[in-house]
Amino acid sequence: MLVVDRRQAAVFAGALALRLLLLVLFPSLPDLLTGRVEVSTPISSFKRLQEGLFLYTRNVSPYDGGVFHQAPLLLPVFALLPNAREFPLPTALFYSLIDLINANALITISDSGQAGSGRLFSALRKHIRWDGVSIAAWFLFNPFTIATCLGRSTSVFTTTGILYALSNAVSGNSLNAMLSLGFASYLSIYPALLFIPLMLLCYDRRAQGSRLPAGVAIFAVQHLAIFLLSIAGLLGISCFIVGDFSQFISATYGFQLLVPDLTPNVGLWWYFFIEMFDSFREFFLGVFWLHLAAYVGGLTVRLRGQPLFVITSLLGIFAVFKPYPSISDASLYFALLPLYRHLFPLMRYTFFAVSALLYATLLGPAFYHLWIYAGSGNANFFYAITLVWSLGLSILLADTIFAALRDEWEQENPEMRGKEARQI
Amino acid sequence: MTGKNEDPGSSQTTSMPANDTMSSKAGALLLPPPEKPEAIRTRFKVIAAFWAVIIFLGFPIWWKTTSIYRARLPIQDMVEWADGKSCRPVFPLEIHFETPSLPESEAHHLLRATQHTLDDLNEFSAHHLRLKLSGEGAVAGHDDMLEQPQPSLDGKADNALTVRLLPQENLAAPRSELHPDTIRLDVYYPPSQIPPPSASNPPLSAYIAGELQNLFTEEKAIIAQVLSDSSVGGTNPLAPSSANNQQQPSVVLNSISPQLAESITRRLRRSMKYAETYHLAFSLFTPGSEPASWDVQTAVEEYISPLLQAFTPISNFTVDTQVQLYATSAPTAPLPEYDETQAAWTLKKEDLSAFINAAEWPLSPSIGNGPTINFILYVPAPSQSPMVVKESSATGWIIPQWGGVFLLNPPLSTADYPSNPPHLSQETLRPAFLTFSHQLLTLLGAPASPASLPFRLQTLIRVRAATLLLSASSTMGSLARLTESLPSIPIPANVATSVSTTLSHLTSTCEHLREGRFQAALADARVAEAEAERSFFEKSMVGQVYFPDEHKVAVYLPLLGPIGVPLIVGLLKEVKRVITSLKAKKQQT
Repeated sequence: MLVVDRRQAAVFAGALALRLLLLVLFPSLPDLLTGRVEVSTPISSFKRLQEGLFLYTRNVSPYDGGVFHQAPLLLPVFALLPNAREFPLPTALFYSLIDLINANALITISDSGQAGSGRLFSALRKHIRWDGVSIAAWFLFNPFTIATCLGRSTSVFTTTGILYALSNAVSGNSLNAMLSLGFASYLSIYPALLFIPLMLLCYDRRAQGSRLPAGVAIFAVQHLAIFLLSIAGLLGISCFIVGDFSQFISATYGFQLLVPDLTPNVGLWWYFFIEMFDSFREFFLGVFWLHLAAYVGGLTVRLRGQPLFVITSLLGIFAVFKPYPSISDASLYFALLPLYRHLFPLMRYTFFAVSALLYATLLGPAFYHLWIYAGSGNANFFYAITLVWSLGLSILLADTIFAALRDEWEQENPEMRGKEARQI
Repeated sequence: MTGKNEDPGSSQTTSMPANDTMSSKAGALLLPPPEKPEAIRTRFKVIAAFWAVIIFLGFPIWWKTTSIYRARLPIQDMVEWADGKSCRPVFPLEIHFETPSLPESEAHHLLRATQHTLDDLNEFSAHHLRLKLSGEGAVAGHDDMLEQPQPSLDGKADNALTVRLLPQENLAAPRSELHPDTIRLDVYYPPSQIPPPSASNPPLSAYIAGELQNLFTEEKAIIAQVLSDSSVGGTNPLAPSSANNQQQPSVVLNSISPQLAESITRRLRRSMKYAETYHLAFSLFTPGSEPASWDVQTAVEEYISPLLQAFTPISNFTVDTQVQLYATSAPTAPLPEYDETQAAWTLKKEDLSAFINAAEWPLSPSIGNGPTINFILYVPAPSQSPMVVKESSATGWIIPQWGGVFLLNPPLSTADYPSNPPHLSQETLRPAFLTFSHQLLTLLGAPASPASLPFRLQTLIRVRAATLLLSASSTMGSLARLTESLPSIPIPANVATSVSTTLSHLTSTCEHLREGRFQAALADARVAEAEAERSFFEKSMVGQVYFPDEHKVAVYLPLLGPIGVPLIVGLLKEVKRVITSLKAKKQQT
């Protein structure tokens, strides 16, 4: 693949230049963004990573002190980079490259055409589509992506894992897909929920090929084994790095599952668990996690023909209902959404959803400032805005799912195409 | 919000393609196209997927996280202890007689006669004296027994008092003498008063009985007071009055003199509440810059430590000291006045309560988990020296349940203008620390009489054992009532363990008391009290105290209601469809 598309090179160069330009023009911007609750959550904050790195390079367990909650595999990688405080450029360059790698994966996904037509289902309007470079540009120039990149949130690595799992799956490389998903799940637990639709995507892709795979059950067991082995391998390496296995597990996965840090973020958990009676805390932790997990089965069954769309929708759901969401999760959802350009004509509340998201984006920082710094507002100000943000995302989600169902329905009832329909 | 977000899920269940109606151009209502079988199957699967998560994951989580763990407590036993049905504290005191100069048979006779007289005098059966002729082997041991006797490990009762009968010529009547540093009472008698074996009530035995009765009057009164304060003991009407002629503690209280009763209640009010550990804080306060140092360590070691050592069976102690210079009295405190007749600056007795500048002097109310007893050594400014209390010329006083104060007036230097010495030597501190040790005894609740310190400590051991027994029992009762009245609070397993430890130690306390082993009884009672307090103040129990069941609706409904409604409606529709299709099938066949 030596022939590099000139448009792609231009987009990538432009994205890299924009990031470096922002860094040069506003040297304080990365630190400002790193401190923002919308960008940095306790499990992805770059500041906390630096704390862990400091302890790690001095041969102290990075989890001592209870600040660092990220996977230990990041530490040796970041230990190679020069100190981000004195030399911000290498780190910024590293993060920009990660963004470009993500964009590259997006191009592969888009070029495979799996979004429009798969093994079991082919969309009616699949000719309405953007090419891979446009989708990459949409991702790279999305302000949320740029903010995440400059804020050096470590959730970009999870994004990379998920996107590479998808790109390998659509190109038929199911082994690498499972390894990538294992990597993403190792970094932050929730991608493990994508296993079932991703496995189905791999299966469909394999079935499209020359030889038919044995049976879906055997296929699932094989891939589950690969997935679990990859996680076990990564955990083994982490154990080798950190030493104390139980401390590492409770500081990272325990922290993500039990949500002890209720620092405000754009999600719905923190406010709810501040208000909740202590004795019901565990129960509602279960409810919230189950709520997150419950969508997997239903969506996968209903949209069996479009596993990639199921994954996209689930990523949107995670961006709303995850324990520590940030705008980086939303940017991942927005990156995959243009793959479904052919559904856009069927969507009904685009304007409302986009307005709600813009409204929340602009007012969120303002209300946070009023609450924390000016002292003239209270927690409800910021929480109300996060509700609007979640509302916007949910409307977008519901609308795309409706559009996908409508698409399927029109295919079964060709005479209804283009006519008004009512949901009953 | 969540209801809204349920949309993706519910829209799948309700917006089945074939379910959608469509309004025609003319507005006429068409029947929706018939559902395809695979669409019905898909819908069934979707609903099943959601309900599978709820049933197989949701319900176990709900059950696991909201069930309240209530360890089983022996409620009946606890209530019985609180009501005093399980144990009637008795205090059989063993008194040893040493009669080196009497033949054994005569000694036996004298003993029996004295015991008889004592039993006649005693009207409080819970507290009684048992006389015993000590064996020859024990005599040597008792002679050099200075502080308290060691806890009897071999199951023998503690020796409360040793009475030694010594013949002495030239005596008209017997006289007695209590050794101040042992628990020995020497009785000197004229040899002529040895009772003949035939005499029924010899004067010597009557004298000894009277002496013993006097020695123990105060202790008896205190114990009667303690027993009657808590309803345990004899006053409880439900308590089994199995004792043949058991008299109520109130009878004893009525029989003692009003002055004694008054002094007992005053002392009980003054003394600190019992604690496992006390912190002693010795503070040197002076309004100027001198004295800036004091030999407090040697002084404490010399005057206080032996006392603390003697108290080890009762409580533990920690000692802190501090020096505070330029410690001015509160601006509202009345100033001392110069009294010509006493040639001293005087404080009025009613102003003493304002002497401590509580706002500015760093006297922490408690360090760690025990109460602090403060001892304040105040060295007045040279311009106001010497300083005494106006009415009594005393230099020290007690602050009830708080500590003691001593005004130290060291000799002023005779320079141009007088100043305090920069350093207080141990010799200078001696009167202050002797006063402090005396105040400490009072604050810890030791009785004022008689003169023998070991004797008073033994009394204190018995009183403390009784107090702790009653307090732990009543804590058990409160805990039992609390758990009965609040069925929704959790009872962790460690509370049940603490309760059973408490009950077993209470039982052994009671047993030790009955056998007269008071030191062992106190040791057990201390454990029982500590465990009882721990179980009652268990943190995880009180979290949910004020949480009535109605509140659960408010907890569950706002979130689970919106989520649950579409799920339940979907389930009901599906069930209805299955039933109708089954019926249709039946009709066909």
